[in-house]
Amino acid sequence: MWGIFLESVVIFKNYMGFHEKHFLAAIYLLVLLYLWFAEKDKCRRTVFVYAPTLLLLLFFCPLFRKVFVRVLEDSETYYRLLWLLQMSLVSAYGLLKLMGRHRRIGLAAVCLMIAVCGDYVYDSEHISRAENAYHLPQEAVDIVDLIEPEKGRVTVLVPADLVYYVRQYSTDIELPYGREMLIARWDYHNALYEAMEEAEVIDTPSFVELTRNGSFPCTYVVLKESREVSEPLTDYGFSIYGQVGEFVVYRDTTL
Amino acid sequence: MRCVLDIINFIFWLLAVPFCIGMIPASFIPPAKRSPGFLLLAGYFGMWALFEVAAVPAVLWVKYDNFKAASAAFTVLSLLAAAAGLCLLYRHHRAGGPGLVCRERFWEKLSPVEWVEWILFFALLGFQLYKAAAYASFDGDDAYYVVESLIAQESDVMYRILPYTGRPTDLDVRHALAVFPMWAAFVSVRAGVHATIVSHVVMPLVMIPLTYLLYFEIGRLLFGGLAQKEGDCDGAVGIWGRAGRESGSVFHRENLPIFMIIMAMFQIFGNVSIYTNETFFLTRTWQGKAVAGSLVIPALLWVFLLLCGEENEKNDDGVIKKRTAGGIWMLFVFVHMTAGVCSSIAVFLTCILTALTAFFLAVVKRDVKIILKMGAACVPSVIYMGIYVVVAYSYLLK
Repeated sequence: MWGIFLESVVIFKNYMGFHEKHFLAAIYLLVLLYLWFAEKDKCRRTVFVYAPTLLLLLFFCPLFRKVFVRVLEDSETYYRLLWLLQMSLVSAYGLLKLMGRHRRIGLAAVCLMIAVCGDYVYDSEHISRAENAYHLPQEAVDIVDLIEPEKGRVTVLVPADLVYYVRQYSTDIELPYGREMLIARWDYHNALYEAMEEAEVIDTPSFVELTRNGSFPCTYVVLKESREVSEPLTDYGFSIYGQVGEFVVYRDTTL
Repeated sequence: MRCVLDIINFIFWLLAVPFCIGMIPASFIPPAKRSPGFLLLAGYFGMWALFEVAAVPAVLWVKYDNFKAASAAFTVLSLLAAAAGLCLLYRHHRAGGPGLVCRERFWEKLSPVEWVEWILFFALLGFQLYKAAAYASFDGDDAYYVVESLIAQESDVMYRILPYTGRPTDLDVRHALAVFPMWAAFVSVRAGVHATIVSHVVMPLVMIPLTYLLYFEIGRLLFGGLAQKEGDCDGAVGIWGRAGRESGSVFHRENLPIFMIIMAMFQIFGNVSIYTNETFFLTRTWQGKAVAGSLVIPALLWVFLLLCGEENEKNDDGVIKKRTAGGIWMLFVFVHMTAGVCSSIAVFLTCILTALTAFFLAVVKRDVKIILKMGAACVPSVIYMGIYVVVAYSYLLK
């Protein structure tokens, strides 16, 4: 039970970003404490004080966590219980109550405090200027435009960089493996993925055997220009179909 | 010309239909609580509840072209509901009632300082919308959710094809009951726009303002002085009463723009980890779980506050007409059903929050009936969880 409790503490710390010196949670907890004393309206106490406090206690309760995980068969999403706290709503309400009549100076102080204790979302490494209306990398769009059949579907082997995107542009493109291979903790195994991504140098004969005679024969293979291969694919029945940026598109002429 | 038609379709399905559906719950609440914001939000939750009714049976029991079946059923249901809303509006008008959309004298009475504060808030909102439209946010889960929408749009199939590869697959109940990507696909089909563009561009431009509209409505309840009385639409002015400021209380409307600015700041700087609902709100706005965290759960708090208002009225004025609260209970059910549309886990979360709040409300108000009423409103969620468990563990029965 103690171990489960400690796990919940770690989840809480990771959620609140304490390890990266973010302290919005500290604002929330102080506001919650303030509301315990300052909020007199019974209904608001229920919604903004009692329910969040009990939720916090439940979050750290090992027995509750065991039941939650057992029912949902998923321990990775336990942190979502913290969504019920609605930290920003409760904090905004409590801070406004605390400001009283000092609205202007209060607003400036609160905004400064949030900016200092929080983290600017648009600084994220996952956010970049959109290259097109699909919000997908233009190279993925261009490759699919190049190989997409007029009718029917085609199986394409693409590097990990493109796995997330090609089917967001067209579902006529099928993949021999997908995103499931890229998440290490899901622990999937696929011989073609290992040959494509994990080998330092692609062993062309065995690689071609897998792309051609595997479960899902690949009509096209897309490789980065810099990807090392033991022998050129063109020696094994592939032709260069086109090139998009750093990606070379090969077509298997035997299929 | 095509672009104009797309915009008209978007306006029809994302504004007109939910607005009309919202008139149904609005006709069963006190006139003072009616507002365009209430109508649109209640309409959206009503529309999503209808989508759940149309799509979940199709997912479970229709094998081929199940998206086509769900779309047809939802089109009929939503248009009937919108027509019913319009009929109620007409009936109120003919009966000389106050109408379902109360005009509020809000902008007329703003002080210069409030104007500046509102402009500041709208600048923050505009900044978030600009970032949502002009910047791409990578999230690995899109390889599942966005592709599911696109498969539905291109192949008329829901949850029978593995989005990662394109191969046929068994029903994955955890994802299949949360049909939010199918609603995005429905909008895409009706507007004739690629589902990925709808997910990545149109959805944020709709969901971000809608979420702030909800915060506005919550702020209105918190800082409007709670002067909600029975009466005609002019009673709505009471919501914006300045009595609070005169008495030194913080509960006056001048705090509303400040509340909105603080909420916007929390969203923009809420990225303290990848797990917070604020991060989900601005980086994966189009995913059902983000909608659950930023719209559905706060909506539940909004409904609790609305119900508290009802109780306050009862205490002050004695007996009130039972039907006045009916619309709020209707909204309560819609919100619970929307949780199921967004995410299976959200159903469990909203039930937990409802149970806790019902328990405390029953204690502080010394009224056990609250637990029974809120429990009854959770019945659709219980049915949802029942289906989830039966489908998830059906292999044990074979």
